[in-house]
Amino acid sequence: MKCENCKTNEATFFYEQNINGESKSVCLCASCAAGYKGMPKLFGEGMPFHTNLLDGLFSFSGAPRQESGKTCPGCSATWRELQKSGKAICPRCYETFGEELKPTLRQLHGNVTHVGRAPAGRRAQKEKRDRLAELKNQLSEAIREEKFEEAATLRDEIRRLEKE
Amino acid sequence: MAWYQVKGNDADTVFSSRIRFARNLTGYRFDKGLSEQDAGAIIERIGTALGEDYVKTDMQLLSPTKTEALVEQHVISRDFAAKKGPHALYRNDNKSLSVMALEEDHIRLQCILPGLALQDAYRFACECDDRLDAALDIAYDEQLGYLTHCPTNLGTGMRASVMLFLPALRAAGMIASLSHQLSKLGLTMRGLYGEGSEPSGCLYQVSNQVTLGCSEEEILRKLEEAVRSIIENERRLRGSLSAEAADRRADRIHRAEGTLRHATMISSQEFFSLYTDLKLGIALGEITSITDEALNTLLISILPATLSEHTGDAPKNAAARDKQRAAFIKKALGVSEQ
Repeated sequence: MKCENCKTNEATFFYEQNINGESKSVCLCASCAAGYKGMPKLFGEGMPFHTNLLDGLFSFSGAPRQESGKTCPGCSATWRELQKSGKAICPRCYETFGEELKPTLRQLHGNVTHVGRAPAGRRAQKEKRDRLAELKNQLSEAIREEKFEEAATLRDEIRRLEKE
Repeated sequence: MAWYQVKGNDADTVFSSRIRFARNLTGYRFDKGLSEQDAGAIIERIGTALGEDYVKTDMQLLSPTKTEALVEQHVISRDFAAKKGPHALYRNDNKSLSVMALEEDHIRLQCILPGLALQDAYRFACECDDRLDAALDIAYDEQLGYLTHCPTNLGTGMRASVMLFLPALRAAGMIASLSHQLSKLGLTMRGLYGEGSEPSGCLYQVSNQVTLGCSEEEILRKLEEAVRSIIENERRLRGSLSAEAADRRADRIHRAEGTLRHATMISSQEFFSLYTDLKLGIALGEITSITDEALNTLLISILPATLSEHTGDAPKNAAARDKQRAAFIKKALGVSEQ
């Protein structure tokens, strides 16, 4: 099989990626594979096979390649360092590089909002937030359907919850 | 008594159920780049949070054989066993719960139970999680959930898995298509034991792939539904053999029993294939002299490190180990030596 990039040399590198059912494959010769940007860590530095295929996770999923100049207040890491390791360095990296991480997270999980358990101290807060969001949805629906009596009850309930 | 020595629900098709949570403490780096001092402090804080009914094992002081035996018994991960630097294991009295301190995440807690018992395993894991949560400041974000070293574990930080015994689906060549269907539901399937893509023990692990945007209850519901449907199909296939094929199967089962009772050398690979026929034989009522839990116990006990632990002797080569394994099996089954 010929390399799909230069179409001259014989392809010796076969790379298949499957994320949430979306698959992608490339067949390249050694020299084109060395310059392949889709999986930099895997094919970079003359290392055809890397033990951790998730290395470079933040590099192949449409994530920004530019350094923003930000550093994490928790560990002083830069976006480049995160890209290099493919993993967060400390918990605060997620807050610091939230925007940069979004494309990767969307590709990995298909959704970027957590649903489920929370630490005990945060549980009440989370339940309140979820309840408020639900009530506000119901309020918009009631107004749209011109159910004003129901809307007034919902509005009072929202105000009461927000004051708590 | 270890989890694999007890008979669980749906034992004819399910080996075990496992829940694993990944958690981290705020104010520290994740595993890589953690100073030795911080690593020690995290290990101690986890121990204090768990309380006295959890026994600590300092992994740096544990012998390589004992460490490998813990991997074979599914108590710790291979990565944790290979790790350099400070790391410790905490286990509760009955050993159903284990907490790896400083695996990839600061905390990897797992509950493993025999048979199909996802809900129970989840409940026990939550109790342990609550205990940690009450004493430690766990890294959590309203939007991303539990913050983990690798972004693939964000959200619930939960991996739920069921180990299934599927000889009929395997014989019918349906594993690949099953695996493909499961991937569409956000679940993954992989073979256990044996070499290459064809596991010789017919044991497969099904687990959730997605951890963010799906609650723990929803993940468990989806996994349990898929597992129940797999079990139903496996059982239906087992019962739908022609008379001739059923005779051949019965012959194979009894030959496996004969080999197990009388062979003088058994490799672990050979045991895995005997296990398939024997476990099926027990499920079909063809074999009554060996219990399901005794066979499952053998499956773990005959692995090299656990075998050395049981016999107190580490053979020098594979042939000597195969001989030791056969003798151990005979003793476990109560067969007298000739």
